[in-house]
Amino acid sequence: MDALNTVAGAAPPLQASRVRSGRRVADKLLIGASTLATLIGILVLGSILAMLIIEGVKGFSPLLFTEPTPGPGSEGGGIANAILGSLVMTFLGILVATPVGVMAGTFLAEYGRNSKLADLVRFLNDILLSAPSILIGLFVYTLMVRPMGSYSGWAGAVALAIIATPVIVRTTEDMLRLVPSTLREAGAALGAPPSKVITAITWRGASAGIVTGIILALARIAGETAPLLFTALNNNSWFSPNLMGGVPNLPVMIYQFALSPYPNWQQLAWAGALLITITILALSIVARFVIKSERAR
Amino acid sequence: MNAASGITAAQLTGRHKADENSPVRIAVKDLNFYYGSFHGLKSVNLNFHDRQVTALIGPSGCGKSTLLRTFNRIYSLYPDQRAEGEILLDGQNVLDSKVDLNELRSRIGMVFQKPTPFPMSIYDNVAFGLRLYEKLPKADLDVRVEESLRKAALWDEVKDKLKQSGMGLSGGQQQRLCIARTVAQRPEVILFDEPTSALDPISTGRIEELIEQLRSEFTIVIVTHNMQQAARISQFTAFMYLGELVEFGPTTRIFMNPEKRQTQDYITGRFG
Repeated sequence: MDALNTVAGAAPPLQASRVRSGRRVADKLLIGASTLATLIGILVLGSILAMLIIEGVKGFSPLLFTEPTPGPGSEGGGIANAILGSLVMTFLGILVATPVGVMAGTFLAEYGRNSKLADLVRFLNDILLSAPSILIGLFVYTLMVRPMGSYSGWAGAVALAIIATPVIVRTTEDMLRLVPSTLREAGAALGAPPSKVITAITWRGASAGIVTGIILALARIAGETAPLLFTALNNNSWFSPNLMGGVPNLPVMIYQFALSPYPNWQQLAWAGALLITITILALSIVARFVIKSERAR
Repeated sequence: MNAASGITAAQLTGRHKADENSPVRIAVKDLNFYYGSFHGLKSVNLNFHDRQVTALIGPSGCGKSTLLRTFNRIYSLYPDQRAEGEILLDGQNVLDSKVDLNELRSRIGMVFQKPTPFPMSIYDNVAFGLRLYEKLPKADLDVRVEESLRKAALWDEVKDKLKQSGMGLSGGQQQRLCIARTVAQRPEVILFDEPTSALDPISTGRIEELIEQLRSEFTIVIVTHNMQQAARISQFTAFMYLGELVEFGPTTRIFMNPEKRQTQDYITGRFG
């Protein structure tokens, strides 16, 4: 009885403390490792941003927004033509991608719920979502640039639309799926046909999420370089209003100017890079703000 | 009085007397229901009387919600669900494939377990069903919205904020908003699917009072897990078990003097 008591009484605390100290060490290790990883991530990101701001701000002047890109060897210049070209192509791209993406996402989440076609479309969309963007560029090159015999802003916009579409399809479907099915039932129970339930109830319920998806797609294509290399290329002057020929744009401008031997080109590349980064940051903040205001409602 | 059921005689008397001579609004005949291959309702035969509250009670999974969801064919949103048999609404079989579903649903309203306000203003929530089928001038629409909110005992609380989102109301107010939205269409029948199970006792009390008032105009069917609630607000009670209708009759008799052993066991809390 005594022996039993001793064993039973003494063993557990010893074991327990061993377990506890083991766990404490493991806990400390994990906290240390994850903190270190976070610091490394922030350090890398921070140094990129710091470098970008230091170098980019030097090139910021009103001329940046009024002068077109300078020719090789000439002094000064701005990036006004590239800014405008990027704006136009991004806008055209999102203009095409939004209706296609929202409607396809609606099909996946609402009409095609249990259909094989929807499964196929979803699968292909996921592939498109992760396709290397240079492939999209080559695809549009073959489809448009070669037959038309010229680089063009149209081809650039199409390439950007192809990249933006799957992002919008995906977020639209995800956001619509978050709308509880009881809301659809409630709409149907009032005698509303499916089209009415979708446009008046589920789209409305998911509107903040869908808009966020569109903004994020916008941020994504604003910085895309590869698809534009084969489609819009670049140009050192103002582009023609019909968007034929090379259309200047920020990403390809940065790519070309950064590799050039001219100091003023390199400086413009830094300024352009900073401008794109600020734009994408601003778009992400707007997206977050949209989500927050929706939650508060 | 069966003391073990916890239902007092006071809860079962007076205004709750069933009117068995009231005309039949909905006649269910040999109704079978399938979820894929699962046989959810088995040859159910049941009559629902005009301007009476009929409670459907029974343990979870017994088919009471399934039965409710056949009346407006809301189940047809889901492709693997089907019903066979007859449900006669004023003599017309609602299961007939020729029936216009949207028209049927404007005649049979439904209120769900969780409040389902639409993401739009309080006014637009109530006007939603009206705008679907009636092209009313703005002034008439205003009148109908106010009338519906009054019937749902919500008008005084929301009359100053009709433009605000319906999502901002409390749970109980949201549920009354859904009732107003349903009432606005002037349906003949209102189906309630456990309308108070997500609400606090005070909100529950208000909804129960409301159902009692609505009875003067509408035929009401309510699914409830709460036997006290069934006893408090209904004139007729149907007890279901494993997809079958076990017993149906005036609420007073079902609770005081059930004929079947299963009913007795359920209302005295021996199972379920």
